[in-house]
Amino acid sequence: MEHPHAAKILAGFKLNWMNMSDAHTGEVLWTDDAWENLTAEREAHIPARILKCRAVSREVNFSSRELLESLKLVQRVLLDGKCMEEWFFDFGFVIPNSTNTWQQTIEAAPSSQMLPASVLNGNVVIETSFFDRDLLVCKAKTRIWYDE
Amino acid sequence: MGLLTLLRALKQNDQEYRVLMLGLDNSGKTTALKQLAGEDVAHITPTQGFNIKSVQTEGFKLNVWDIGGQKSIRPYWKNYYDATDGLIYMIDSADRNRAEETAEELAILLDEEKLDGVTVLLFANKQDLITAMPPEELMSALKLTSQRGRKIIMQPCSAKTGDGLQEGLKQLLDVINAAKASGK
Ligand SMILES: Nc1nc2c(ncn2[C@@H]2O[C@H](COP(=O)(O)OP(=O)(O)OP(=O)(O)O)[C@@H](O)[C@H]2O)c(=O)[nH]1
Ligand SMILES: [Mg+2]
Repeated sequence: MEHPHAAKILAGFKLNWMNMSDAHTGEVLWTDDAWENLTAEREAHIPARILKCRAVSREVNFSSRELLESLKLVQRVLLDGKCMEEWFFDFGFVIPNSTNTWQQTIEAAPSSQMLPASVLNGNVVIETSFFDRDLLVCKAKTRIWYDE
Repeated sequence: MGLLTLLRALKQNDQEYRVLMLGLDNSGKTTALKQLAGEDVAHITPTQGFNIKSVQTEGFKLNVWDIGGQKSIRPYWKNYYDATDGLIYMIDSADRNRAEETAEELAILLDEEKLDGVTVLLFANKQDLITAMPPEELMSALKLTSQRGRKIIMQPCSAKTGDGLQEGLKQLLDVINAAKASGK
């Protein structure tokens, strides 16, 4: 893994920003654009009403200097360290010197039951990882606080 | 949200749809995609890679890929053809100077083996401008000679106002859905 090409890919990859919005109104409820230090866990304060949204959009913007053959994203929602939800997305080819956006909108089933904000508060971590084939290109962790 | 509404209206058959949006730079691809998603379209900059919107509702998934159309990016378009169910080709109907260029790029796509048989939605965009070519004039400017046994849908629209976008995408998804249902 520590071959020179991997180092170049890592050095040229940048997570620019992430946001979350209410998909029905388009209202952005949370945005974070200062991903300088990826090793540190970050904190996000999101209005608790996001838990009542039938459809939530999550958006990620990233840049890559190098051409990538097979980029994948894995996003996991951890509650007290246990994986509650997991999403994959296969980007495949990434253009060299490109900036790219991926937005995912998920509509929850009408019957799905959300845990109350008081249970989730500070115990939920969203982990976003990018892989080019087997190479971990970037990993970011955000701990979520639901503000009333 | 427009995309979710469209997706819900389709007969549910646990499918995943991949729609690719191409067209010259400045034709309005990103504006159209954001407009369809109900987002603000006031501050859009040229796309330097791709923008993807994945929309998921019960048993249904739509992935729309909008790739930058600048000349320097076009050689990379071919990396995104695999497994495409529908192609949206965006045209700036008011850009008469580049009618020939857009016709050439479209002809190349229609000849592409990997896009063989893929249904094409031509968006005759920017119809809100008085200088816009009406769809008939645009069709003849495109000189569509070989359709290679595929269906081509022509839909006038304005990505700026949203007119025609839902109608166009709905027609495309209906054709894709019918093809998938018949096991093609
Ligand atoms: N008047 C008018 N302007 C439009 C319309 N659609 C897009 N535009 C404008 O055209 C310009 C280019 O729009 P984009 O959506 O960035 O075009 P694009 O096809 O994504 O361009 P690239 O990303 O470079 O490939 C922007 O200034 C838009 O506001 C329309 O229907 N009418
Ligand atoms: Mg664009």
